[in-house]
Amino acid sequence: MKNTIEKILKIDRRLIFLALTLLLVFPIVRPLGLPNKNIGNEVKALHDKIEGLPAGSFLMLSLDYDPATRPELHPQAVAVIKHAFRKDLRIMILTLNAGATGLIDEIGERIPKDIAPSKKYGTDYVILPYQPNPVAVMTQLGMDMFQIYDKDRDGADLKSMPVMKGIRNVKDMQLGMCITGTAMLDYWVAYTADKFKMPFAGGTTAVSQIGYAPYLQTGQLKGLMGGMKGAADYELLIGEKEKGTAGLDALSLAHIMVIALIVVANIMMLWLKYL
Amino acid sequence: MTLIKKHIPLAICFIVGLLTLSSYYVPTQSSEKYVETMNKWENIVAGFAFLLGLFSLFFSHTRKITRRVDGWGYSLFVFVGFLAMVVPAIVSNGKQMIGADLTGLGWGYRFLFNALSGTMFSVLAFYIVSTAYRAFRIKSAQAGVLFAAALVLMLAKVPLGQMIWEGLFGWTGAWDIAQIGQWLMDVPAVAGKRGIMMGLAIGGIVTALKIIFGIERQYMGKD
Amino acid sequence: MLNIRIIPVVFAVLFAASAVSAATPASPKNVPVKPDLSGFEAKDMPYDKGEAVLLSWPAGPADVPGAVWQVYAASGKDWVKADEFPADKKLAADIELPFWAWDRHAKLHVVQLDMPGLFNDFKIGTEYRFKVKYVNGKETAESPELPAAPKPNLFNLARLNNLLLLIVTTIVFFWTVSHAKRKGGLFIRRIAGLDAIDEAVGRATEMGRPIFYSTGIGSMSAVPTIASTSILSEVAKKVAAHDTQLKVPHFDPIVMTVSKEIVKQAYAESNRSDSYRDDINFFVSQDQFSFAASVDGMIHREKPAACFFIGHFMAESLLLAEVGATTGAIQIAGTEQESQLPFFFTSCDYTLIGEELYAAGAYLSKEPMLQSTLKVQDFGKAFVMLSIVAGSALLLAGTWFKMDTLVTVVKHLFKAY
Repeated sequence: MKNTIEKILKIDRRLIFLALTLLLVFPIVRPLGLPNKNIGNEVKALHDKIEGLPAGSFLMLSLDYDPATRPELHPQAVAVIKHAFRKDLRIMILTLNAGATGLIDEIGERIPKDIAPSKKYGTDYVILPYQPNPVAVMTQLGMDMFQIYDKDRDGADLKSMPVMKGIRNVKDMQLGMCITGTAMLDYWVAYTADKFKMPFAGGTTAVSQIGYAPYLQTGQLKGLMGGMKGAADYELLIGEKEKGTAGLDALSLAHIMVIALIVVANIMMLWLKYL
Repeated sequence: MTLIKKHIPLAICFIVGLLTLSSYYVPTQSSEKYVETMNKWENIVAGFAFLLGLFSLFFSHTRKITRRVDGWGYSLFVFVGFLAMVVPAIVSNGKQMIGADLTGLGWGYRFLFNALSGTMFSVLAFYIVSTAYRAFRIKSAQAGVLFAAALVLMLAKVPLGQMIWEGLFGWTGAWDIAQIGQWLMDVPAVAGKRGIMMGLAIGGIVTALKIIFGIERQYMGKD
Repeated sequence: MLNIRIIPVVFAVLFAASAVSAATPASPKNVPVKPDLSGFEAKDMPYDKGEAVLLSWPAGPADVPGAVWQVYAASGKDWVKADEFPADKKLAADIELPFWAWDRHAKLHVVQLDMPGLFNDFKIGTEYRFKVKYVNGKETAESPELPAAPKPNLFNLARLNNLLLLIVTTIVFFWTVSHAKRKGGLFIRRIAGLDAIDEAVGRATEMGRPIFYSTGIGSMSAVPTIASTSILSEVAKKVAAHDTQLKVPHFDPIVMTVSKEIVKQAYAESNRSDSYRDDINFFVSQDQFSFAASVDGMIHREKPAACFFIGHFMAESLLLAEVGATTGAIQIAGTEQESQLPFFFTSCDYTLIGEELYAAGAYLSKEPMLQSTLKVQDFGKAFVMLSIVAGSALLLAGTWFKMDTLVTVVKHLFKAY
């Protein structure tokens, strides 16, 4: 018995990988439809913040994530854009991460198709090109953004676009938001939100979410979405279930598997030690 | 020689450090222009440094291929991957989409880079699970507390976990897993995070002072 | 003949009639109160870069619900309406400046006008004219026109608390550096991760396998990367002395350039310049997961005896550490990202937490100057702890005893403006 338990404790990790694969593939093939009941307070705060903005308000959305964190962060971006368009907000999408350009192109493709077909590029929203040196961009956005962004990603003049009417810097914008898998949100808070007193919110990966709780408590961030669960919560709040909600089943099973493995491993360890 | 290799770099470091520090307290346009100029210079230096890095990469892998060292085949892929993305980028002038059509670069980004990056990130999930099984042993009271907190948080974050909790403790009507999870996130976790943040911030300030005043000189190389 | 008893009745009726029909005097509430515009001032907004103007005028009983203030500005002949707000809003207390730079209790309306937002051809130093208008239904009042020119200010007084703290920290810094060479040296508690460097290098030498050192994915301006290069210097010296193979893959080309100099110097100091090779430091990729995949592949193939992961790491931390663990390498890690520390804890033999990373340079080199600067960190931490305790106690006392001034002072002292 002891030998068996020792063998199980030293099981080949590839078998664990296989078990996890099967557990993750199953809900994708056959969705469980688990209900998402509890919505995080910070997600609710973000939703309420956007909900409270009057029509015509300006939202600056910085999508600073790359394809690696796409499954967690892309649904967040899509949900926020849908909500913002529903509230008739003007949206400016930019990125400080070179890897995000393709993902933004995908969003740009989807807006006229299914996200908000009635919204017009240049009048209701604009997409800016990638800019290196994030700190320089953040600082300049607080002073005169047209010094650094004079054209949109297609090379059209930015200042003359109707969507940019009355906007010169972040002080003219009603809300800023950064969705990122890196520490970029820290920089946005330090160099833009705090420095220029701009209301700011964020979207991060689940593992980074806890790091931003101090900012939520001090009011430096008005709301925060964390990981796929945050995206699913937001989709529930706006009543449009998408990839965020779809991934919750797999997420649930993976979590339960981790808990089960830890419990089983420790029971076996105790068994070996005391019996 | 000491003047060029030691004193001038130290002087530049000192002057630029002080100017950047003082720009925080002096709210004039000159201050702003100075910060903008420094940012632009940093961009330029980063661009040239990237070229430097690229040459280093090519040189290192070319040497591996010419000397046929172990694993030299993998070095070929460096060049294949580089050309596969750069040539279409040059052809399409850096655009990923022309109208509604994907360019070569766009295709490579969407079907190669997307897939490969997503794969690397998702490998984390497997590693986390196997590490949890291999390494998470409750050998002390502190580890037990850690596991209890982790258990509550993991259950609170997913619908299945919430359902399990309600099934086990829902009859008490008192403990809502989401509230307990939220409290764990808002209070003990944030307290620990704040403590580490403060220590790091102070360490960062001291390191910056050391560099500005020339006490830390490792980056300059040989004295 | 008139009945004489009716006369008092007539008088009583007449008296009553006169009382009823007497005109009621005007109530004080219905008389419109004129606003006091004699104290209207227009001046440069203090502590800014010269793009704003501050207008102020006394608040008073005219600030009733329904009334509004309108603010106008002009550069030439035409007036532009800059702002309009209810008469009871925009007071001195609404300006977010600390008590040492602004009197929040002044009974004034205060409006800060951002001039570039109003005039496209704005230039710093140009004089503009300003006036305010009070409107309460049909009742209006207008202030005299006053000129003002926004000018840049040399010092942001609001940041005085920050500057004083910086000055005190710098003084403590210089004091500790000047007292660096003390008898017996400075006590630094044992940091297991740093003590294990000798063990790691020794193991690599015995096994004849390389050592991998990663400085993370931070740029050269990131403090953890700077700390990592300090540790790299010490590791490189030991590696040079033992003639072991060292490989340092890089995420950032600038970090690679700096690390090359550091390693070269380390080899020179160990009198092993002949063993130094330029390709010890090499660039891999500036994409996070491409870097992780490449380094993982190298670790998997070359099976190093020791891996060092010290610097700024994000999601790739577990990818690197886990692959290193499967090859049986001794692993020493350190990062400032507390979200990645759990991954390093489970996969690595030794982990440096938070500012142990920043103390590493002093700990390893044992240079008195570097060691003494650790005292400054201790001072900083002591100050923070004292501030938390004292600040919390003062705020509590101020709230309990309803001492608003104390609460305001404490809040302003510890706020960053």
